[in-house]
Amino acid sequence: MEQRTNSPYPRVDRPMLAVIGVLLVLSCVLFFASDRAHDWRYYQMVFQGEVAQKFGAERADAVTTGIQQIWVADLGRADRCITCHQATSWKGFEQADEPFRTHPVEPLQAHPVEKFGCTACHGGQGWAVDVLEAHGEVAHWEEPLLSETLGQAYSLTGNKGALIQMNCNICHRYDRETRGADAINLAKRLVDEKGCRACHTINNRGGRIGPDLTRVGEKAPEQYDYSRLSGQQTAFAWHVAHLKNPKALTTDSTMPNFGFNSEQAQALAMLVLSWRPADVPAAYLAGAPRTDTPTAEQIAEEERMRTGPGAWFVETGCVTCHSIQVYGVRSPAQIGPDLSNAVEDVQSRFGRTIDDFLAEPSGTMAVVLSRQIILTPEQKAVAIQKLREAFAIYQKQQAEKER
Amino acid sequence: MTEKNRRDFLITLGTGAGVCALGAQGVASLRSLVPNVSYDAPTTVKLGPPAEFPDGLKFLADERLFIFRDGNTFHAVSAVCTHLGCTVRAEALPRPETATVGGSPMRLTHQFSCPCHGSHYTGDGTNVSGPAPKPLAWFRLSVATDDGQLVVDLADEVDRDFRLTV
Amino acid sequence: MSLLTRVLKFRSAGKAGPAGVEPEEAPGVRPRLFWSLWPRSDRDAGDAVTSNFLLHWFPAKVSKSSMAWSYSFWLGTITAALFLLLTLSGLPLLFLYVPSVERAYQSVKDIEYVITFGRWLRAVHRVAAHAMVITVVLHLARVFFTGAYKNGIARNQQRQWNWVIGVVMLLLTLFLSFTGYLLPWDQLAFWAVTVGTNIASAIPGIGPTVRELLIGGRAIEQATLIRFYVLHIFFLPAGVGVLFAYHMWRVRKDGGLARADREEIAETPRDVAASPTKTYTLLGVARGTSPTVTARSLEAPGTSVNAVPDLMRRAMIATLGTIAVISILSVFIASPLEEPANALITPNPAKAPWYFLWLQEIVTDTTIHLGSFTINGAFIGGVVLPGLLIGLLTVWPWIDKSPRQVTGDWFPRERRTQNLVFIAVLVGILLLTYIGMELRGPYWEWFWPWEAWPTVPGRI
Repeated sequence: MEQRTNSPYPRVDRPMLAVIGVLLVLSCVLFFASDRAHDWRYYQMVFQGEVAQKFGAERADAVTTGIQQIWVADLGRADRCITCHQATSWKGFEQADEPFRTHPVEPLQAHPVEKFGCTACHGGQGWAVDVLEAHGEVAHWEEPLLSETLGQAYSLTGNKGALIQMNCNICHRYDRETRGADAINLAKRLVDEKGCRACHTINNRGGRIGPDLTRVGEKAPEQYDYSRLSGQQTAFAWHVAHLKNPKALTTDSTMPNFGFNSEQAQALAMLVLSWRPADVPAAYLAGAPRTDTPTAEQIAEEERMRTGPGAWFVETGCVTCHSIQVYGVRSPAQIGPDLSNAVEDVQSRFGRTIDDFLAEPSGTMAVVLSRQIILTPEQKAVAIQKLREAFAIYQKQQAEKER
Repeated sequence: MTEKNRRDFLITLGTGAGVCALGAQGVASLRSLVPNVSYDAPTTVKLGPPAEFPDGLKFLADERLFIFRDGNTFHAVSAVCTHLGCTVRAEALPRPETATVGGSPMRLTHQFSCPCHGSHYTGDGTNVSGPAPKPLAWFRLSVATDDGQLVVDLADEVDRDFRLTV
Repeated sequence: MSLLTRVLKFRSAGKAGPAGVEPEEAPGVRPRLFWSLWPRSDRDAGDAVTSNFLLHWFPAKVSKSSMAWSYSFWLGTITAALFLLLTLSGLPLLFLYVPSVERAYQSVKDIEYVITFGRWLRAVHRVAAHAMVITVVLHLARVFFTGAYKNGIARNQQRQWNWVIGVVMLLLTLFLSFTGYLLPWDQLAFWAVTVGTNIASAIPGIGPTVRELLIGGRAIEQATLIRFYVLHIFFLPAGVGVLFAYHMWRVRKDGGLARADREEIAETPRDVAASPTKTYTLLGVARGTSPTVTARSLEAPGTSVNAVPDLMRRAMIATLGTIAVISILSVFIASPLEEPANALITPNPAKAPWYFLWLQEIVTDTTIHLGSFTINGAFIGGVVLPGLLIGLLTVWPWIDKSPRQVTGDWFPRERRTQNLVFIAVLVGILLLTYIGMELRGPYWEWFWPWEAWPTVPGRI
């Protein structure tokens, strides 16, 4: 019978094929191992141990295993947090350390977990089942866990866990006060006190000198200018620094420096970042106020400022820095002098008449009038006219006071 | 074992292991089709305050469920046909009947018919004609401790003597 | 005697009945259920090829020079193996991925995080896709350098057309990869496809229409996703599959690798007695000669080996080796998934897939202003230049006038100039790709490797 032709190949090729076989086995071992290596398996094991220690082996066997999720179809959120945070609904872990602490009952009563999930309030990446990814501390995840650790990283003064209030206020933005959201409440009071609405539109109400802040919270972090910001480059850090000293970040800003302390600036930054559209169905907001209703005094004061004799100064933007007491115009920042007696005040400060000064301003006003509030000669004439009238009233008032 | 045989053995072992590993990879990729997480709706559902239910029968399309109310007693009957899972329709009886259900009398106002294969059920869910193999399921009703809403547990089937009195 | 040797003995004994009593049958029609992977005789080996559907595209015998690792580097086989692996790893993904704007990103997150082996499967699919782009180009380069698109000695060779098919498959591979790029529906995908499809709209006249047809509207939306999806999972793979089959068929018709022609041209025919028992020849029926050819050196014992098991074993080495390497790499290479696609925010920088970055680099550098007259760089870099390159590549077999004697020869003196030009173009493309990948930072500005990019700001 015919024999097979000898071939030189099997001597090298057959071992080579065997080596590849070993590589294939290795690949199987590797991807099996990488699938087993998820963090949640470790935490579930530890939790079972904790339960066994506390309540005995029988209850430990009843602990659910495998990936758990809360699927909230309305919000499109699948939160797998409870895969590791297994104690959230267990009694008896109230004082335990995370990840095995019982969730406080009170906030859950108004926000049932099957309706809200976890991440709607806490932030983080619900999809993930490993610590770093789930806490959102990875690239390309914009919503990190709003934890105390993060608060410490921002050296929050006061409550380190306050950052979570940002997410409260996405839905509760029209509340005058939200229970448990102290930082946000402080910031809301500041907004009223400092008169932010004189320049900014907030919740669709307010002035037009500064940018509209109604949806500023959804502005992309890339759209801020960080060139003058040192330290962390985040939208939050930018807002804190900007609120403390606007001109330090935006040199041509007309926004006055209100001298906020750290706590105030941080609270305001949280408030500002919370101003973004709530991506929840309307039914979720049924109980919450739907608009920002001003108090009667606020309406009256705004009305007076806008339509009163000083209305021209409010519209032009002078009000940003200057009050005009005689016209009932109150500047939120009060950086510049009161303009009621500008006619004599300019003379004493600069040794020039008001006409002369407005025609060719010097100092800060030179910058303001050349860059931010640009007036035509006609407008300048109106200003002078109105300032003279104001001065007349002022003199009358002074005379009455002396009498 | 000679040198050559050992060599042959190792080669066969390596190659064979490779073929097995290849099979393992195939099986592993099929494992991905077994779901690890559930996107199903929860089985415990709040249905609303008991007072908002009308006397008689109310059909809840989302839960595929009939809620019966007679004064302050409630019970829930599934609308899922026990034959092949179509949703049965309720038809009002010309004249209400009284039957003994679970040992106590009950006023029946409706009967149920399945549009798919014509199974018929009486008002308490008993299958009377058509291909349906068993009666419609009854589910446990309870009252939520926090806000007093009626709650159904679709995973908890109960006997027909079940009544919830509010 | 150990168990193993007994098993081995049993296996070799069980193959072909008692020696010498084999009935005379026509080759290829033996009523046998299985063919032998361990043939005892040359006839057995040939039979294994002809009676096996999976192996029927092999010749019965193959020259040793065609088998050499260092001639073809088996790049075509590796590419085919990658295509096979892509098809196989794509199958489970097909069940797991949802091609809808609302659900796509979410389903990819699930694949990454909760589906058992999902992350690995996705990585295998992605790594293999990138690797396939590389091996296709390398295969093309190999064929060019060896002049393997040239016809050698046999009649009816049409290698130039197989080259054209190859070029078409290169384009299909790029497009396959590009359509897959969009599917995760994240920022990376969305903007790479925005940049990529806008290049198409630079074609004068029909450009905008072409883009609109491609993405099913003027913006990248659900219509785009479903188009890319259907192209990606059906039309393009089917196209590659059909062309691949044709490619292999032509290889057989043209007498195997060009290297075999070279062998026959180089060696003078020797006087080897024609053997009537040899009914299978290396070049098969396509040679146009009768089955019992006058034996040349090629048919001489020692210059060729049986396809089964030698060629088959090497094909297995290339295929399984590719699968092993890719699946090991995939454990360690994480697939990117950025933020969900957002038409309002362009990432900085927004880059096309890496194999198009040389074009993006050219596009950036070739916008020409002549007074009020402006030629968009997208037209030169995105249409004229690649069009010219692909056109030249396609017709090159007709331009190359080198003698047929250098077919299947690496870097012959006669083809030095064109090989150098080819290398220059290839190196240029690689260089531009490298620049686009590594040296271009935010605002497409130049960053040396030792210069840090500005940090990407986060929200909180």
